[in-house]
Amino acid sequence: MAFQTLLFYLFGAVLLTAAVATVTLRNMVHAALSLILSFFTAAMLWMLLEAEFLSILLVLVYIGAVLVLFLFVVMMVERHTPTIHHRRNYRLVALAVAGVMAAELGAALIAPDFVPASAPMPAPLGHSNTQALGSVLYTDYALAFEAAAVALLVAIVGAIALTLRARPDHHRQNPAQQSRVRKQDRLRLTDGRSEPPC
Amino acid sequence: MDIPVLAQIVVGAVGAGAVLAGLGVRVLGPKAATAITIAGVGLAFLASVILAWTYAQGSAPQAVDLYHWGPGGYGMKIGFLIDSLSVVMMVVVTLISLLVHVYSIGYMRGDPGYVRFFAYLSLFTLSMLLLVMADNFLLLFIGWEGVGLVSYLLIGFWYTRARAPSAGLKAFLVNRLGDFGFLLGMGALLAGAGSLDYATVFAQSEALAQQLSPFAGLSMLSLICLFLFVGAMGKSAQVPLHVWLPDSMEGPTPISAMIHAATMVTAGIFMVARLSPLFEGSEVALNLILVVGGVTALSMGLIGLVANDIKQVIAYSTLSQLGYMTMALGASAYAASIFHLFTHAFFKALLFLAAGSVILAMHHGQDIRQMGGLARRMPVTAATFAIGSLALVGVPGFAGFFSKESIIEALAHSDLLLAPTAHFLALAGVAVTALYSLRLWCYVFQGDPRSAEAEQAQEPDKTVTVPLILLAVLTLAAGFGVEAFLYGGLLGDALVVHSAHDTLARMAEHWDGILGAVLHGFAAPAIWLLGLSLLGGYFLYEKGYAAKLAPAVSGLQSVLLRKYGFDMLYENWFVRAAHAVADACARTGDQKMIDGLLVNGTARLTRRAAATLRLVQSGLLSHYALAMLLGLVAALGYLLLRG
Amino acid sequence: MLSLTHFMLLSGALFAIGVAGVFVNRRHALVLLMSLELILLAVNTNFIAASHYLQDLGGQAFALFVLTIAAAEIAIGLAIVVVVFRSRETIDAEDLSEVRG
Repeated sequence: MAFQTLLFYLFGAVLLTAAVATVTLRNMVHAALSLILSFFTAAMLWMLLEAEFLSILLVLVYIGAVLVLFLFVVMMVERHTPTIHHRRNYRLVALAVAGVMAAELGAALIAPDFVPASAPMPAPLGHSNTQALGSVLYTDYALAFEAAAVALLVAIVGAIALTLRARPDHHRQNPAQQSRVRKQDRLRLTDGRSEPPC
Repeated sequence: MDIPVLAQIVVGAVGAGAVLAGLGVRVLGPKAATAITIAGVGLAFLASVILAWTYAQGSAPQAVDLYHWGPGGYGMKIGFLIDSLSVVMMVVVTLISLLVHVYSIGYMRGDPGYVRFFAYLSLFTLSMLLLVMADNFLLLFIGWEGVGLVSYLLIGFWYTRARAPSAGLKAFLVNRLGDFGFLLGMGALLAGAGSLDYATVFAQSEALAQQLSPFAGLSMLSLICLFLFVGAMGKSAQVPLHVWLPDSMEGPTPISAMIHAATMVTAGIFMVARLSPLFEGSEVALNLILVVGGVTALSMGLIGLVANDIKQVIAYSTLSQLGYMTMALGASAYAASIFHLFTHAFFKALLFLAAGSVILAMHHGQDIRQMGGLARRMPVTAATFAIGSLALVGVPGFAGFFSKESIIEALAHSDLLLAPTAHFLALAGVAVTALYSLRLWCYVFQGDPRSAEAEQAQEPDKTVTVPLILLAVLTLAAGFGVEAFLYGGLLGDALVVHSAHDTLARMAEHWDGILGAVLHGFAAPAIWLLGLSLLGGYFLYEKGYAAKLAPAVSGLQSVLLRKYGFDMLYENWFVRAAHAVADACARTGDQKMIDGLLVNGTARLTRRAAATLRLVQSGLLSHYALAMLLGLVAALGYLLLRG
Repeated sequence: MLSLTHFMLLSGALFAIGVAGVFVNRRHALVLLMSLELILLAVNTNFIAASHYLQDLGGQAFALFVLTIAAAEIAIGLAIVVVVFRSRETIDAEDLSEVRG
């Protein structure tokens, strides 16, 4: 038990530090790397919460794909990014809003009608979080699952449509045109005599 | 043929003529339009005559129920009540209309609106026929309004002339005023009797007389009758709603004949006679009718003494004669009233058409001071005009004598409170009628021509003179219907008279045949007055004493020339007030409230709101994010505080 | 002994950091997106913690959907950033104010 508490504080500290670094670092690449770190520690915390499947998912899919994509874009535009300089009064507003929000969230936790549930017993050996989640996803949440899939598809199409640009200097095959072509378009019969230069 | 078919032929033929000519205004030539409309009216006239023949032999009243267009029980239907009263009216209307149609061929020849004119004429006839044939108040009202509408169209027929459109408008608006009364009457009727069907309403007249109206001291029946009579006053041009009739002379002369003789002005008289079961139950209304008729008869005749437009003089004479008819209604002598309407239709149509003939000969000049000596150049016109005038004046033996004398007699026999007053006014009116008729005759036909046109005047062609001669014959003949109308019970089943005011029954005791009436007539006070005034008129106008007398009565003359100031009063008060109200409404209501506040105000408010709100739209991502988060913070705070 | 409150405090703090990041880096579109990621991560953590302590797999399922939508959002967001960068040679969010009223 104490070991888990230790882990919680350790990862929590790393998480918050990385998060703060993400939003404050001037170097974009560093910021992106900090974001990856915070996601990674969050995955560890989720592991503590026995959400193994989501935890692995976060690392493999989210960090592995999404955040790396982030990194690519950051590297692509980094040279041209504006020098980040924070305006003091605006930062005060930001901190004030964030502070009030944090205070409110904390107040919600210590409100008298918030009774935290006691810690459940650890899952028995051989229990598969993946299996349990899958059985819920494909039964109770089947419709939402499909909708999420469609949303992803739309996002894929949208992202491609946005970033695709026609390059006129690229030569591509046009299969439709190729299959429609006739002999007359390509072939000219001559009588064998040489033609005068035109 | 049976009665319902004939009734439908009457309406259908005229309606078809009107609709065809009206729709074909741009397509039909003059000849086709003339043929269509005259064929329609002619057919209607024939059917009416057959109907009249049937009823003269004593047919029972018949209801022709065609179509119900409203919930049952309220009398919202198209249905005809064919009885002796409506048949008489149908004959008069179709006959006069037919003659006017024929006459118009010559009178309107070459007018650019020829076809339109004939279409209107037939529509006018149709409206009037609907009015007289209706068996319920709503159909009556449709005809009533149709007549008003077409009169507006016809009076303003020559709309390029300066005064014609405003005269048409005046006729329409004054009529609307009367119609308002009529509508109120119908409303009161619906409230009191719960139906607009004649039969249903008449059956309840006793109950209505017992019912108290919201106005103290008036029975419901009296209230209804007073409202309805306001409508009759508008249509039949009784003081003080008479102002439109003289102005209606702006229309073509055939129209004047039509309006004055057969349609429109007789509508009010007919309506009261038709509703005799109601009016009989209200002595208040009868007294009012008496006095309104009397005042109209005398005062309008007096104006005829000073008018200088040939048609105006005849118009004022119509007003005066309408006063007589109204008085007869008041004295419960409905048959006498309808009889006077009947004879008046002929001699007034005759007078108007003869006047139209004079006007044609004068190249559309209407000022009698420009005429003179026309008797020698236009013998037919002069002769027929003379017959008409004699009938109008009421010389014994002529049509007007029988009808007018009956009215005066009836007034003498009436027991109503105001009957003596009305009797006096009627007698005075006789003298005045004689004077203005003689004056008109002298100015137009006697003496020497007073203008180049008068010198070269010629008799117009046959389409004009033939109707004149026909009408003259009819005028001579019409008077002899007195026995049938008044005592023979021709209208007996259509008119209801309480025994308490059955003046005609009292007169019947003294009735000793037509010859006796003529002989008796010479002894009547009215005829003495008539003779005296003819004698006086002879000296005044033929011998030229009028000019010498003029300065002495200049005060009276100026009052008459101003027509008692009715026009001025209406112009200065009502028209101006209406203008002021309309102006105020237009300025504050329309321009400021609707245009300014609502229309432009909405636009202005939107623009201002948008101008303010667009400041929020900074286009900066961070601002939107801040707004979102502030909202989130606020929502969280609210949830926390609520607990 | 770890309780739900621990995790919730942690995710609350993470959330607040994300919010602050949105404001602090209001000019840089990419860092804005990163801050959004932090916020969503906080939300997800919250979901999973609640799911664990209430023994209800619904929370985890929901977290999965949030992840999905977040991935979609990032894909589109990055595409937009790329497009904007291509056409304007900058990703300064303060310059992107064409829709200013």
